[in-house]
Amino acid sequence: MEFKLEAHRIVSISLGKIYNSRVQRGGIKLHKNLLVSLVLRSARQVYLSDPCPGLYLAGPAESSLAPPPPPQQQLGEPMAKSSAGWGEPPPLAARAAWQEPEPQPERPVGPGQPGTDDAEPPVSVTGTRDVLQSRETEAAEPAWRRVERPREVEARGPGGPAGALDVSPQGPRVARCHCFCPPGGEDRLGAQVGAHRVDCCCSSQPSDTKPPAPPLVCPRKRSAAGVGCPAPGSTPLKKPRRDLEEQPGGGDNEEEMDTGNVANLISIFGSSFSGLLRKKSPGGGREEEEGEESGPEAAEPGQICCEKPVLRDMNPWSTAIVAF
Amino acid sequence: MKCFSRYLPYIFRPPNTILSSSCHTEADIISTVEFNHTGELLATGDKGGRVVIFQREQESKNQVHRRGEYNVYSTFQSHEPEFDYLKSLEIEEKINKIRWLPQQNAAYFLLSTNDKTVKLWKVSERDKRPEGYNLKDEEGRLRDPSTITTLRVPVLRPMDLMVEATPRRVFANAHTYHINSISVNSDYETYMSADDLRINLWNFEITNQSFNIVDIKPANMEELTEVITAAEFHPHHCNTFVYSSSKGTIRLCDMRTSALCDRHTKFFEEPEDPSNRSFFSEIISSISDVKFSHSGRYIMTRDYLTVKVWDLNMENRPIETYQVHDYLRSKLCSLYENDCIFDKFECVWNGSDSVIMTGSYNNFFRMFDRNTKRDVTLEASRENSKPRAILKPRKVCVGGKRRKDEISVDSLDFSKKILHTAWHPSENIIAVAATNNLYIFQDKVN
Repeated sequence: MEFKLEAHRIVSISLGKIYNSRVQRGGIKLHKNLLVSLVLRSARQVYLSDPCPGLYLAGPAESSLAPPPPPQQQLGEPMAKSSAGWGEPPPLAARAAWQEPEPQPERPVGPGQPGTDDAEPPVSVTGTRDVLQSRETEAAEPAWRRVERPREVEARGPGGPAGALDVSPQGPRVARCHCFCPPGGEDRLGAQVGAHRVDCCCSSQPSDTKPPAPPLVCPRKRSAAGVGCPAPGSTPLKKPRRDLEEQPGGGDNEEEMDTGNVANLISIFGSSFSGLLRKKSPGGGREEEEGEESGPEAAEPGQICCEKPVLRDMNPWSTAIVAF
Repeated sequence: MKCFSRYLPYIFRPPNTILSSSCHTEADIISTVEFNHTGELLATGDKGGRVVIFQREQESKNQVHRRGEYNVYSTFQSHEPEFDYLKSLEIEEKINKIRWLPQQNAAYFLLSTNDKTVKLWKVSERDKRPEGYNLKDEEGRLRDPSTITTLRVPVLRPMDLMVEATPRRVFANAHTYHINSISVNSDYETYMSADDLRINLWNFEITNQSFNIVDIKPANMEELTEVITAAEFHPHHCNTFVYSSSKGTIRLCDMRTSALCDRHTKFFEEPEDPSNRSFFSEIISSISDVKFSHSGRYIMTRDYLTVKVWDLNMENRPIETYQVHDYLRSKLCSLYENDCIFDKFECVWNGSDSVIMTGSYNNFFRMFDRNTKRDVTLEASRENSKPRAILKPRKVCVGGKRRKDEISVDSLDFSKKILHTAWHPSENIIAVAATNNLYIFQDKVN
């Protein structure tokens, strides 16, 4: 357990470093980020090797999300390939403020654009959005299909000289997963996110949002469905305020896990940074070339596979580098 | 333990003055230190893109016992901050490395580089100026030709010594990633510049093209596992060079084998000790500096906790390993948090390759005598640097009872780090850069 806690802490720190590296003067340092990603990988391995991962992260919610629907699993793969835009690593665990990836600057963000990002199999992003939305959201939904830009970016503006550029004016409007959306259907930041992938457990629910952004697999907040993308041992730790509406159980562990979303972040990174870096980054075009592919600008949010098993099967973190 | 210096051939004494800037700003942080081939000049580069060159005073007949001291010779702005508009990246002006060219005439030449651009600077003295122009008057104003009735030959008259630095070549746009090393070849016609993934070979006379001799960039960046951290040419064989990686390996390449030296001729790697495995094993094994010995027979590498000496003829393990500050091994997590674990320490040989030196924290620096296997820890600080005083050896207490002069690990100041040091090529004079201060210590045997 201690190892797990330590690993957890190291993951949080590492993610923070990766995120901060974007705003450092002189550009992203490839060497340093490579080393950080190696540490991240080691910590992740320890973290996930814990027999009871859910203990810290998930509550009942996890159990309900346990069985990952096959479709989502597959989606994880393709998602990994598709780019969600910014491969920018999620911010500190404490803030699971994923932001809607901006690859969408060029992609018209509009409803009905399901695989907008990449003509690939739709990967619904999970309720990550919700998580994204809430600044303080700690737990990114386990069922991520892609890494979202930290929501904070929207709030605080460009995440960095490089990153900001690609942020579309609408900013990180996170598509909201139905299942994730509060009854109001409007995320806290009022962001309406893009297309909601069919795979999303909540696809059946009426989306009050016109999905302008890439689909997100929305973690099943409502335990009822249990269809949502299971968190990889992580828990869709929703913010307390949401807990009321969502899984009550999930909330239990949230409090004690201030960085509960780290689990999700781990999954994100674990699921291979390949997803983090879109092969063809639209906005990241400038980074695309010889240029600093090392720049997060070029990276797109990867697909986060919430499935623990899927996670493990995913490529190692080496791809994290691509993000930078 | 008594004074370690007893076992070392040198006893270092600080000079009368410590060269430093009066007000410390980020831009004043020294980022590189290098003696020229004769040791007469010492160049330093800082984060603000400036180069300051010190020159050793000629020994005066009056004070034969007093070795020449170093005084400022020239200061110039080598690099300016730039902005890459295409990638929206700011290019820092920090001088990463300075390398001197061997002197071939009255002027001095050096290479200085920041993250992206290498420049060749000519530093020359001017102590005469021409006077007696026909078409200009003494103030430089043009004279009306119609008023000139006689012609005269301009003459050179002495003037106050002026040292001027002029950029002679600018080698730009050849590196996508951050340049970490430059190295002048022993043929004195070419040099190489290395960034995270590539090494380029340049000719001093040609600035618009360079040859790529090493390229470790994978086709798919996702597969990237290591980067180049340092590179250096062999001191005598112009076809040989080495480069180190973030994985703790060193590759020696021979440029005669092929144009692209992606396949090494020799590969130096020490198997990892499984008992020391931790989350940070990879980070601390990353090599931050590699230096050939003056003889060309050995290479020295510095990783986070150790300095290793390798024999070029033995690839499977180093012949010597020195622990620089092993007491930090249990603190790696904290050092990771405060980013200290990413510090890139350099290492240097003395002129005879018998002693190696490297820096540590708390303004400590360490010297290891390869023959006697003795080592000493010294501190670069104003308090300990009264002129003519001997540097007192320091000791870090790793646990248990701390003795009077010892300092405990937890009291170490990690913001005071000595990353850059230099050793005079033939004498026992060392230059130690402690943040924004430059300390020069000399050995006064008598």
